[in-house]
Amino acid sequence: MEEAGRLLDRVQARDAAAFEVLYDQYHRLVYGLAMRVLSDPAAAEDVTQAVFLKVWSEPRLFRGGNFGAWIARVARNRAFDLVRSRAVRAEGEFPESMPVDDALEETALARIDGERVRDALAQLPPEQREPIELGFFGGITQEQIARQTGLPLGTVKTRIRTGLRRLRSALEGAVTA
Amino acid sequence: MISHDEMLDNVTAYALGLLPASEAAAVAAHMETCESCREEYRFLHPAVTALAYSAEASADPATGATAASPLMKARIMKQVRSEAAPRRTTWVWPAYAVAAACLAIAIATGLVDLSLNGKLDRDRAQSAVQAQTIADLTAPDARRHRFAGGEVLTHGDRLYLTMHGLPAPPAGHVYQAWTLAKGAKKVAPSKTFEPSAGGVAVVPLPEAATTLAAVAVSVEPAGGSMQPTTKPIALVTL
Repeated sequence: MEEAGRLLDRVQARDAAAFEVLYDQYHRLVYGLAMRVLSDPAAAEDVTQAVFLKVWSEPRLFRGGNFGAWIARVARNRAFDLVRSRAVRAEGEFPESMPVDDALEETALARIDGERVRDALAQLPPEQREPIELGFFGGITQEQIARQTGLPLGTVKTRIRTGLRRLRSALEGAVTA
Repeated sequence: MISHDEMLDNVTAYALGLLPASEAAAVAAHMETCESCREEYRFLHPAVTALAYSAEASADPATGATAASPLMKARIMKQVRSEAAPRRTTWVWPAYAVAAACLAIAIATGLVDLSLNGKLDRDRAQSAVQAQTIADLTAPDARRHRFAGGEVLTHGDRLYLTMHGLPAPPAGHVYQAWTLAKGAKKVAPSKTFEPSAGGVAVVPLPEAATTLAAVAVSVEPAGGSMQPTTKPIALVTL
């Protein structure tokens, strides 16, 4: 796989072929993530288009590190923007503020295979996996997860942390930090 | 003052993007000064990225609803190429050339038919249709309704859809034209078609042009649909 940083340098120089390579490598991640959040193919395509055209118009927004991690973050935020705009239209207000990601230093990691991650996730006990997925793909806070599940907030936090650490350990080998 | 263990819970929530903005800012500020929390974040972050990859769409469009449409790529690349630095091999196809190119294809197709079967007499009906098509496509009083990637041309009551740069539809799918009659609320199914190897389609539509308000095109399962099942790739008001 060609290194994303070099491709982005070429994108900066308006090289459509370099952009196409990036698209081919990452569109399934962006589209799949948007589909998971939005459950709507047309909306997921809109998000994918917006994310990649952003990469095309402002390749310097990526400051190094793992490009997959970065573009996934952009896609997730964009998908939640859409959820929020719909909620505003439908209900007049958005229940709570959206999570934001800060531009902390990225951890470099190798290419992760979606199938392998799904296997690793499936190994987690449901009481750990479910709140993680609910929060990450559903865009709701730990307090909301606690209310939905009827569990104490502290329990929800502990399960999320234990589950994520366990997922991280299960990925050893698949992931190089 | 919260305990360090609680702070590590917050770092986890921060890494997962679960925190409201104000709390996220507080955690980020804390990590500036706390090495063990930074370490926890660095340790967990690959798991968060992996979580994102767990939603990655299938590589095989045939295996499920999460596969991305190839038309999405076509749309994105079209815009990107229009803004790309010029390359020696790049072909720019101005809109005004579309009808001429379609005409060339139509003529070439006619000639190929002629040379292959040499039975023009028996194909008089087909030949007449081709002659009519060519006459309509080149008529100076034809009305051309351009859209990105082609045009809808009307000449009197006759109606043609011409497209270029059209990728082959996904396996098991075709393009389908739709017409919206004046005053109608719903589109009606029209012809299904596939582009030539060169990405060109010239489709005479059977509907009377003067009765229509709009023409649209979408990707549909082979055989066509009774109503559109995907977002239109083209929509033209007449």
